[in-house]
Amino acid sequence: MTGLELVVTRSAEVVPGVRELVLARPDGGPLPAHPAGSHVVAECGERRNAYSLTNGGAEPREYAVAVLRRPGGRGGSAWLHERRPGDPLVVSAPRCAFAPVLTARRHLLVAGGIGITPMLAHVRDAVRWNRDVELLYAHRPDAPAYAADLDRLLGERLRRTSDRREFRGLLGDALRRQPLGTHLYVCGPAPLMELVTDTAEAAGWPAQRVHRERFTAAEVAPGTPFTARLRRSGRDVAVAAGTTLLDALHAAGVAVPSMCRQGVCGECRVPVLAGQPQHRDEYLDEHERAAGTCVLPCVSRSETGVLEVDL
Amino acid sequence: MDPGVDHAGTSFAVMSFSAEGRAVARRWAAALTATGAPVWAWHGDGATERALAELRDRLDGATVGWRLMLAGPEADVLRARSLAVERDAIDAEIRVHVCGTGRKRVWCAHCGGTTETECEAGQAVACANCGRGLLVHDHVSRRHAAYLGVLADPET
Repeated sequence: MTGLELVVTRSAEVVPGVRELVLARPDGGPLPAHPAGSHVVAECGERRNAYSLTNGGAEPREYAVAVLRRPGGRGGSAWLHERRPGDPLVVSAPRCAFAPVLTARRHLLVAGGIGITPMLAHVRDAVRWNRDVELLYAHRPDAPAYAADLDRLLGERLRRTSDRREFRGLLGDALRRQPLGTHLYVCGPAPLMELVTDTAEAAGWPAQRVHRERFTAAEVAPGTPFTARLRRSGRDVAVAAGTTLLDALHAAGVAVPSMCRQGVCGECRVPVLAGQPQHRDEYLDEHERAAGTCVLPCVSRSETGVLEVDL
Repeated sequence: MDPGVDHAGTSFAVMSFSAEGRAVARRWAAALTATGAPVWAWHGDGATERALAELRDRLDGATVGWRLMLAGPEADVLRARSLAVERDAIDAEIRVHVCGTGRKRVWCAHCGGTTETECEAGQAVACANCGRGLLVHDHVSRRHAAYLGVLADPET
């Protein structure tokens, strides 16, 4: 990863459990510009985690991320929560798979919990360019991160609630009254994403108008053991339950480039020659999935006892 | 080929042109009535200014979930489709069935005029605006809803 070597310039807990880190170049110089909805992959000690940038993306001199502490996580968020001004931090260049569709007549944003982070960038961008935007924000009663910023930026165009039933009502209502030309953007925990996607589908939204950003790796089951057969090197690598194919390959000394380790970026994609992959990623489209000719080893596994790959 | 109705939609506009188009539209309307979704239907000889004004009204009032279904000659279907796309409909929201005559619109690359005529790609037509002899190319602008016409014999 050709990383950007940045330093933390501000570090503050915006609500309990959520720490905002502001990053800049050591010389304060300009950073790569990026569309709203971009994320960076941060090197957090031993781990690499993806975080949405909450800043506006035009001529940035600072990148801002908001990190939710995950006590049961793999340690990346806890490590980031210990960063203080002056600490170095390496992040990837921004990447984006969740940009606003510039031809849209209107932008309906729906966020749940820490899924508010890419939406903050969307809102800032929309306000800056005077785009028609509306945000529906579901949060826990005690911790509406960035509520004050969003109130100020959006006024009446923000509706937020911590009541599940009220959220369903607001969501159904919002999805049924959008003018043709509206695009929908969703980010939040998996159940919320599913609820929004299903409600939109029932209201007749074509998939092309619905844009989803996953901020956590799916709570994937450990899966069953299988064997990865490496055709080019003629080796078999055993993949135990609870171990990813990527980790098993790395442990066997097979170099596979990887980045997000969450099935989002596509960096680790490997061609499949035989066997049927069990796709668990967010990257491949339905045709690629059905074809079964490649797999993202960071999250995906095998339906068959043996998965033969071109390595 | 008849693409059939899109059952994912929650309200529909069905526009048809020519007798052949009307037959298709009737089939669609029957299938849609069974779903109980609101259906607005319009039929006429072609995508005239009046027809397009009607469609514009529907587009301006449409909410996401709306679908447009078009049946009739290519020239008319393309014109209606082009208006819908200009007013923020996307491909997934439009279904078309071309039937009836081979009426096409040809856009003159030299004067920008549009000629509506029965023709096939590869044939020559006279531009209704500037009179040049145009070769109809197999190139359709979905925005202009027209085929490209270029001077058939540049030597003359």
